[in-house]
Amino acid sequence: MKIEGEHLFNGSREEVWALVRDPEVLASLLPGTTDLKQLSESEYEGSITLRIGPVTGAFSGKIIVEDENPPESCSLVAEGEGKPGFFKGTGDVELLEQDGGTLMKYGGEIQIGGKLAGVGQRLIDMTSKSMIKQGMKSLDKVLAERTGKE
Amino acid sequence: MSELIEVTVNVNSEEYRRSVEPRMLLSDFIRHELSLSGTHVGCEQGVCGACTIQLDGAAVRSCLMFAVQADGHQIRTVEDLGTMDELHTLQEAFWEAHGLQCGFCTPGFLMSILPVLEENPEVSEETIQRAMEGNLCRCTGYQHIRDAVKQAAEKMVAGGEA
Amino acid sequence: MARLIGKPLKRNEDPRLLTGQALFVDDVELPGMLHAAFLRSDYAHARLKGIDVSAALEREGVVAVYTAEDMGDDWAPGPPLVIPPPTIEEVTFNTRTQVPLVKEKVRHAGEPLAVVIAESRYIAEDALDDIVVDLEPLPAVVDIERALDADAALVHDDLESNLAAHLVQTKGGYQSAREQADLIIKRRIVMDRGIAGAMENRGIVAYWDNKQQYLTVWDTTQSPIPIRNGLAGMFGLSEHQVRVIAPFVGGGFGPKIMMFYPEEVVLTWATLKLALPIKWIEDRRENFYATTQERGQVHEVEMALTEDGRILGLKDDFIHDSGAYDPYGLTIPLNTQCHVLGPYDIPNFSSELHVVFTNKTLTTPVRGAGRPHGVFVVERLLDIAARELGIDPSEIRRRNYLPNDVFPYDNVIIDQAFANFIIDSGDYLPAMEKALDMIGYKDFIENEQPRLRAEGRRVGIGVVSFIETTGVGPYEGARVTIESSGDVSVATGVGTQGQGHFTSFAQVVAEHLGVKVSDVHMVTGDTAQFHWGTGTFASRGAVVAANAMNAASSIVRKKILELASELLDAPEDELEIEDGEVRVADVPRMSISLGELAQKANPLRGAVEPGTEPGLEATAYFGPNYGATAFGTHAMIVEVDPETMNVEIRRYVVVEDCGTVLNPLILDGQVHGGVAHGIGNAFYEQLFFDDNGQLLNASFADYLIPTSAEVPTIEVGHTVTPSPLNPLGSKGAGEAGAIPVPALMAQAIENAIGEAGFEILESPMSPLKLFNLYYGDKEQ
Repeated sequence: MKIEGEHLFNGSREEVWALVRDPEVLASLLPGTTDLKQLSESEYEGSITLRIGPVTGAFSGKIIVEDENPPESCSLVAEGEGKPGFFKGTGDVELLEQDGGTLMKYGGEIQIGGKLAGVGQRLIDMTSKSMIKQGMKSLDKVLAERTGKE
Repeated sequence: MSELIEVTVNVNSEEYRRSVEPRMLLSDFIRHELSLSGTHVGCEQGVCGACTIQLDGAAVRSCLMFAVQADGHQIRTVEDLGTMDELHTLQEAFWEAHGLQCGFCTPGFLMSILPVLEENPEVSEETIQRAMEGNLCRCTGYQHIRDAVKQAAEKMVAGGEA
Repeated sequence: MARLIGKPLKRNEDPRLLTGQALFVDDVELPGMLHAAFLRSDYAHARLKGIDVSAALEREGVVAVYTAEDMGDDWAPGPPLVIPPPTIEEVTFNTRTQVPLVKEKVRHAGEPLAVVIAESRYIAEDALDDIVVDLEPLPAVVDIERALDADAALVHDDLESNLAAHLVQTKGGYQSAREQADLIIKRRIVMDRGIAGAMENRGIVAYWDNKQQYLTVWDTTQSPIPIRNGLAGMFGLSEHQVRVIAPFVGGGFGPKIMMFYPEEVVLTWATLKLALPIKWIEDRRENFYATTQERGQVHEVEMALTEDGRILGLKDDFIHDSGAYDPYGLTIPLNTQCHVLGPYDIPNFSSELHVVFTNKTLTTPVRGAGRPHGVFVVERLLDIAARELGIDPSEIRRRNYLPNDVFPYDNVIIDQAFANFIIDSGDYLPAMEKALDMIGYKDFIENEQPRLRAEGRRVGIGVVSFIETTGVGPYEGARVTIESSGDVSVATGVGTQGQGHFTSFAQVVAEHLGVKVSDVHMVTGDTAQFHWGTGTFASRGAVVAANAMNAASSIVRKKILELASELLDAPEDELEIEDGEVRVADVPRMSISLGELAQKANPLRGAVEPGTEPGLEATAYFGPNYGATAFGTHAMIVEVDPETMNVEIRRYVVVEDCGTVLNPLILDGQVHGGVAHGIGNAFYEQLFFDDNGQLLNASFADYLIPTSAEVPTIEVGHTVTPSPLNPLGSKGAGEAGAIPVPALMAQAIENAIGEAGFEILESPMSPLKLFNLYYGDKEQ
């Protein structure tokens, strides 16, 4: 499944970059995330509880940030495994200056397996979109707190 | 294992009291705790309708309920209809019209259709169709089931069973 | 003799089923019974690096957890079932059969990795979560057209490619036919996978009684005797120590004949180890991964015709998806090759077959078993040719039917039994004419369709013919006994999954023995009662088993008459058997009941004379030389909503010819069910796999089995062309309903759309696919 989108932040690229590279911010980004630990400069580990239609369960996994080019771009690999199956996502994030703010462009692909695929597939698209939307909203909020800009 | 909860249900006019785990499905409870194995389980997700029973007179899917939710309620299963020697009018019609083949889905069909006919046996084809749509059958192609329901409805009207 | 064969009698088995008193496998409850749950792979293709079951073993209520390693020397790939004999020329066949539990590599999603045996199913499933598995995912082979690419991953590492089988079959010379042709139609035709969708999932209860040294297995199998023989062989038991019971089985449709499922082997192995009864009941999601499926094929086809629409030759090169293993050999694709020839006179034929391994659930026969694919191919080509040549679809078929005087007709190529594909009998034109008449073909084309089209409505008609090879050998048997009560007991090896065997077989027996059909008590599918036979598959019950009934009851009839003649002191030809007694014709007072005769035949004193046997009992077998071929024509009228591309079936007509009909009520039921399954195959049911071999619609919420709203009233007519191959003249009909539906629906929808260039070349269709096909074309 492919994911693609963009979001305009009210802040500079440096501010947005600092935000998304902060593990605490990352942890607050996705609802249901617990125990997010930074293993190295670019690797995080943790677990997340997801509910996708009839499929609910905890996944443990990690996020790896690759090809960092601050504050312009990076790639992400996220993978998780748990009772409801597994997911593996790869994506590219790009930050562009636009209208005095920062436009984040993201695109990637998610593979899913197990019950998550067999029973939840129909709802994955919707669920991931709503999770991204929620994540962006909380990023906006943290960004506003940090920069003082509304 | 989590703690057991006591459940009292009235099934086919008989009272049963059992202690079960809160997560036990009503379908498993009926089949394996009460040994009423005429209720069948085909999908465990509420689509196929094989596990349909009546809860306080309404057709419900016993795989979508927990046994503890049925505490204090009246349950009716296929075993409450006729006996092998004296079939219920609806069972008799299924027999006459060849409304079953492997028979696995049949108890679910009977329990879904019966409340509709009991409420008013003067049913239109559309009502029959709607009463059947929530149950899957892979053997019959539904035609002989429709015939059976029509036959039963006619007999119930004639016999004043409503 | 009262004619009972051919009567629409209601069924003996129904009162038990209707009152919830029939025994299905999940109804078996034994003291101390344990419950099994299988840990299944989430990946379609992965290397097993390690598996840690220690936490699961610690869970309260867990009795045992087993992996492949625990099975030691008992771990072995399953036996191949129908491997082509080496006598078949230039066939390549790579046998790779399924394993009980994964040892090194997972080859399809849902393949079992471990089994937990616990005090309840709930605990067993809890414990599955405690097992830690280390799987290294590998690229999956999913697209069958790319399975043989040089860079494709290998499903079986020890093979050079994913080729499971290769076979070329020819009849006449296609090339020369092609050179003489006025018209060549060339297309790519696709048929995709679906499930069988029996309402009862699979299930097993296995119990090794250590004191009795006796293994009892209740199994939702279509084939109890081969399961008994196989399990005995696998575990070093005598066949007399093993009883396999297929009680009432909630629908079969093919996959329940697959042998041996991993669960059958693992449960038996585990009960032999634990000496306690163990139950496993498949759940619906497991069924989508672990129970076999069917239909995936891609055909590159060519038909050569004269300008007046006569087929000169046909070339069909196709790829068949075997899934991860191929225990069932070439049954499905050989059926496809035979049914591409259909009821038509096709003098020149060439078909190259590649069977490929993929990282998907294995394919074995599902109602139709390769036949719908063949019918879809030839009927689609005929429709396209008819359009190009300006011939009516019914007319082009008429011009190509095999004439009546050619039967038995040898099609030269081999069939699924590895024998020449010979059609025993046929009379195709009357079946089509009857169908055209029933649906009002001429009137629809000339009046109704133009009238409705003028109103802007997209209505269309289709008419498609087919054959169905049925009733293949090797044999079945039956034992018929007159009991001292006068009732008749009958045992046979085939199991029953709803086909009405308790009744149609009883009709055959009752006809010979002058008893009521309801007084004939049938035992099917219990190896302790009858232990020779193969199983219920390939639409063969009404042919092979019914003729064994016929043979056994004729012998019993002879015994009855001999004994009665002696006791009543009357010549045999003056005796008649009716209402459960033997009478001297015209002397009603001189009679003796069958029960009394049975007692006299089994006396407590006196000797059984040399050369005679006690009792009124006989066992007989029937094995046909080759299969009987049924045929028929289906016709339908549809209306397509051009906005949503939803299709409403307004009329559906079947004319079925399956020779002598044993019970027309049961036959109509079989036809209705087949058509409903076919409608699912044609328009609703498709399994979607992603590039990693993940099944994306593994539930009834996402995989659509037709409900009563999707299945119209089916009008059934019959013609009767008895098979010369068996005394009853019967042919099978279990699969017939499903076979022509995809081809028919495609023709009817094309006719409704009525625009040049709009062609349906794949099955299943769906409203969405039709929409894209139609409006996609518009944009170009």
